[in-house]
Amino acid sequence: MQNLTKQLKTTVLYGIILQKILTSSAFAQTNDSIFRVDRINALILVVVFSTTILLYTRWARQGKPLFLRKIPGLDAVEEAVGRATEMGRPVLFVPGIAELDEIETIAGISILGRVAKITAQYETPLNVPVRYPLVLAAGQEVVEQAYIEAGKKDLYDKDTVRYVAGEQFAFTATVNGYMMRERPATNIYMGAFFAESLLLAETGNAAGSIQIAGTARPEQLPFFIAACDYTLMGEELYAASAYLSKEPVMTGGLKGQDFIKILITICILLGVILVMFGFGKEFISLFQSV
Amino acid sequence: MRTTVPVLIAFISGIVLVVSFFFRKGTWLGDLEQEFTVWLTIVGGFTLLLGVVSITRVNWTAVKRKKEGWKYKILTLIAIFAMAIPSVLSPDWSPLFGRAEGSIYDWLFQYQMSPMMATMFATLAFYIASAAFRAFRARSLEATLLLVTATLIMLWRIPMGEWFLNLFPGDIPYLLNTYIMGGINMAVQRGIIIGAALGAASMSLRIILGIERTYMGKG
Amino acid sequence: MNFWEKMEKMDRRWVYLMVGLSVILPFIFPLDLPISITPEAQSVFDEVEKIPDGSTVMLVFDYYPSTIAECEPMAIAALHHFFRKNCKVITLSNIPLGGPSMAEAVTRDMAEKYNKVYGVDFVNLGYKYGYVAVLSGMGQSIKSIFPTDNSGTPLEELPLMTNVPNYDSVAFIFEIADNATADYWVSIVYAQYGVPMVCGTTAVSAPKYYSFVASGQFKGLLGGMKGAAEYEQLVGHNAAAVTGMSAQSLVHLLIIFLVILGNISFFLGRKGHKKELV
Repeated sequence: MQNLTKQLKTTVLYGIILQKILTSSAFAQTNDSIFRVDRINALILVVVFSTTILLYTRWARQGKPLFLRKIPGLDAVEEAVGRATEMGRPVLFVPGIAELDEIETIAGISILGRVAKITAQYETPLNVPVRYPLVLAAGQEVVEQAYIEAGKKDLYDKDTVRYVAGEQFAFTATVNGYMMRERPATNIYMGAFFAESLLLAETGNAAGSIQIAGTARPEQLPFFIAACDYTLMGEELYAASAYLSKEPVMTGGLKGQDFIKILITICILLGVILVMFGFGKEFISLFQSV
Repeated sequence: MRTTVPVLIAFISGIVLVVSFFFRKGTWLGDLEQEFTVWLTIVGGFTLLLGVVSITRVNWTAVKRKKEGWKYKILTLIAIFAMAIPSVLSPDWSPLFGRAEGSIYDWLFQYQMSPMMATMFATLAFYIASAAFRAFRARSLEATLLLVTATLIMLWRIPMGEWFLNLFPGDIPYLLNTYIMGGINMAVQRGIIIGAALGAASMSLRIILGIERTYMGKG
Repeated sequence: MNFWEKMEKMDRRWVYLMVGLSVILPFIFPLDLPISITPEAQSVFDEVEKIPDGSTVMLVFDYYPSTIAECEPMAIAALHHFFRKNCKVITLSNIPLGGPSMAEAVTRDMAEKYNKVYGVDFVNLGYKYGYVAVLSGMGQSIKSIFPTDNSGTPLEELPLMTNVPNYDSVAFIFEIADNATADYWVSIVYAQYGVPMVCGTTAVSAPKYYSFVASGQFKGLLGGMKGAAEYEQLVGHNAAAVTGMSAQSLVHLLIIFLVILGNISFFLGRKGHKKELV
């Protein structure tokens, strides 16, 4: 016990020394200094994070085998598109309802590219309603490229991806109406979703479609889980494009991310222990951003 | 060229915003962030036009070719322009123009759009009830735990339920707030939030560095 | 097919009918129900109380008209609270559709009750595209992001805004959101500028924000109509949210009943089916 307390004290001492060095005169924040020394903790995190991701990407490029666990929802994508082909019905893909500056939307658009390639190969009609003009432009570009790569450019229709409405529920009503009229065999929802998640998923369920959803919004996950066949949770959505591409360079990034997660877990555990022993304040201050 | 230029723009924009974060405002580097964000709002404003063009083209084509439901598409087109055109005209010409109280835009918004949106949102209650009835089954231990917790939380969030819970010994509402909402719920939410944030950061980095190009249809 | 199996496969329109009746009936026969106060709502009230009278505050209308039932009572109660303390209120919205109009309508209505003057006691900045850019940009200069207010008046012509160049002059932020913009107020404005803030959100989003409250990033939280009703009670202006609690109570009870019924049907229906197979 004494030994543990000693070790903890040493750890905290190192932390305090590091903090003192960073705030010492050499790094002192003066009104005329251009660098924000108070944000050095964030800089360290950025550097460590970037280096880790890049290192893993490099290792992946060199051919080092990297294990990726199975994500059933993504494995089901091809099967679901195949089902649509057999039934002669379209595939509906909704890349969320957020703007393109939302990273979830970009993830959704990336997955759209993969899905479009499969629908192009199977010659299955694809319908992609979007809510924002920028997403429309990006979506059209991605789908067109997918059809070209699949050698089916003649099948590409510019209105595969179409702007529906800028208003959340007008968008939802249109998509729901489409589901009930056209009865797509497969509905894929990937991106940022809000209150419309259950409205979409329940209607899709009522229309008898097989449904795969993915979002990083914790508050919408229960709805998708209740009404969809497969749901990608949180970071699985961001991992999807790398997972589907199966390119080592992309999977390298995922492994780097996992490594950082381990580091964060260690920091959390250390923080909990230090707080329990009354040294938490100094440790927490190392992570506080300004 | 079609790949290199966008990747280069993404790289420069990303790096500038990251670097600028570490420099004091008032310095050239520190102010770049502000410069870029102002550009973003301007460019973003123009993109709204893209949406109008797309929705008009899709609906107009359907009307022209007399596709199924083309009459409804005429209504869509009328609605778009009835709302948009008066809102951008100067209120100096007529009090019906612009977006102030009493304008056409305001009327359409307050008395048509707003109730329609609220109605659509309200249908959630019907869907939640239907989904709960159909999907909420005590099939396993985990599902049973989820079901019991959800029931208790729903009771706690309503006065009648709270009264009912208080009939039992121990301060159940307090325990629910402290241990379920402030304990288990919070831990799970944090786990998902941290994971998702890392995923987002990692993806951002891949985009900035040009490793991830799938959003452009490449790779 | 036995009774329970039939029950399990009940047409969903019966469920819709029951929900409809549970919502309508309490409005015809209101139930006067006591509403208890959660610590999170109490914190919202206490934090606003702590602001020195006459301070400049921001009230953010980050919700769509669709969630008016849950969010607007929060905004109205907050305006009662702010105007009572003679706070100068700056409203804005990151929602293009309806946000600025709702801010305008609600704030002007409340200002009239408290004899507040536009431009001096309150200002509506309106909406600008790109919330991430808007929130971070205002940290340096509000004027560079919003050169004019919602009706096009240059900010220099509004006495209140001449003293508020950026977040440094804002004492408090009350964010009312039905979407993820609340996350950005925390990660951009609180993290970088340290302005104390509270959040009012829809019931479905509230569980997510408990962790933000625990970490002190949000000083308090109002969750859904219940949170709004609690705040209305604390402020002393019982209105729409308190009234709406009766309907919410009945619908919650109905859902609990449906879940129980669904499970009984599931188990008994399965039993009956097994017997038939034997």
